[in-house]
Amino acid sequence: MNELMSATAFKWFLTILTGGLAGAWFVYDSINLIRTRNLDRTDAVIRDRHFGYVMGIIIGVIGVLGCLKFHGVV
Amino acid sequence: MSTAAVADPTSESADAPAVPRKVSPFNPANAVTASRFLTLPPLYWAIDHGYHQYATLFILICGLLDKLDGLVAKVFNCRSAFGELFDAITDGICYGFGLIVVAAYGWAPWIPVAAIIFLGVSNTAMRFVYSWRAQRPMNYKSYAMERLVAYTGYLIGFATGGMEVRFFYWWFVPLMAVIVLYDTKRMLFDPIPAARAA
Repeated sequence: MNELMSATAFKWFLTILTGGLAGAWFVYDSINLIRTRNLDRTDAVIRDRHFGYVMGIIIGVIGVLGCLKFHGVV
Repeated sequence: MSTAAVADPTSESADAPAVPRKVSPFNPANAVTASRFLTLPPLYWAIDHGYHQYATLFILICGLLDKLDGLVAKVFNCRSAFGELFDAITDGICYGFGLIVVAAYGWAPWIPVAAIIFLGVSNTAMRFVYSWRAQRPMNYKSYAMERLVAYTGYLIGFATGGMEVRFFYWWFVPLMAVIVLYDTKRMLFDPIPAARAA
């Protein structure tokens, strides 16, 4: 049984799927964090949201770095 | 079979009290959630036969169905507490199964996989404690964990696709540990929000 696509196409498919989402996520959560920066941080839910956005940004960076490593850029 | 009651905001009017709407567990959103289990046998088959691309396809379908069930719940207006719980359990089973299989076949390192499963089980236990502290069925909404669950789905894809497996798996563990610690503090020690009136 053959695989679905060539090895090169599969590599780029994974890169676009991962890098695309990770990059978009990085931007999305950065915007969320900036937009909510002035909200009351004594509210536990606001702190939860900020913590989630920071984690989302870190996950986005890891995703993009992984893609760059995958292609030998870093 | 019992039904889960949810408040339907669209049924409220100014002079009538909100009546909890009954949502059957046999609804389209839960059907989509349940269909995710159908991706597990072909996932196992693909890994067992060494078909990396097919395995990636099946875990991708599983992840897409996870996103689709929320959309279906909105479209058919069939969100329920049972549906949320069923979705969380399905996430745990599908992604737990996938992680164990890729580790068992040597496609992913065992130590981070074991750590991830341990932290995941611990987090689930904390959620039960949180619900017990609240004295009512209550799900702790963790913004950080929501993001990490998507990363978990990707972890299996990284293993089936052979994409920087060690990098992604080893970075996942400290991130998950920090999030579980934060959520543990919130669930076990912080005050619980009061129940909202129906």
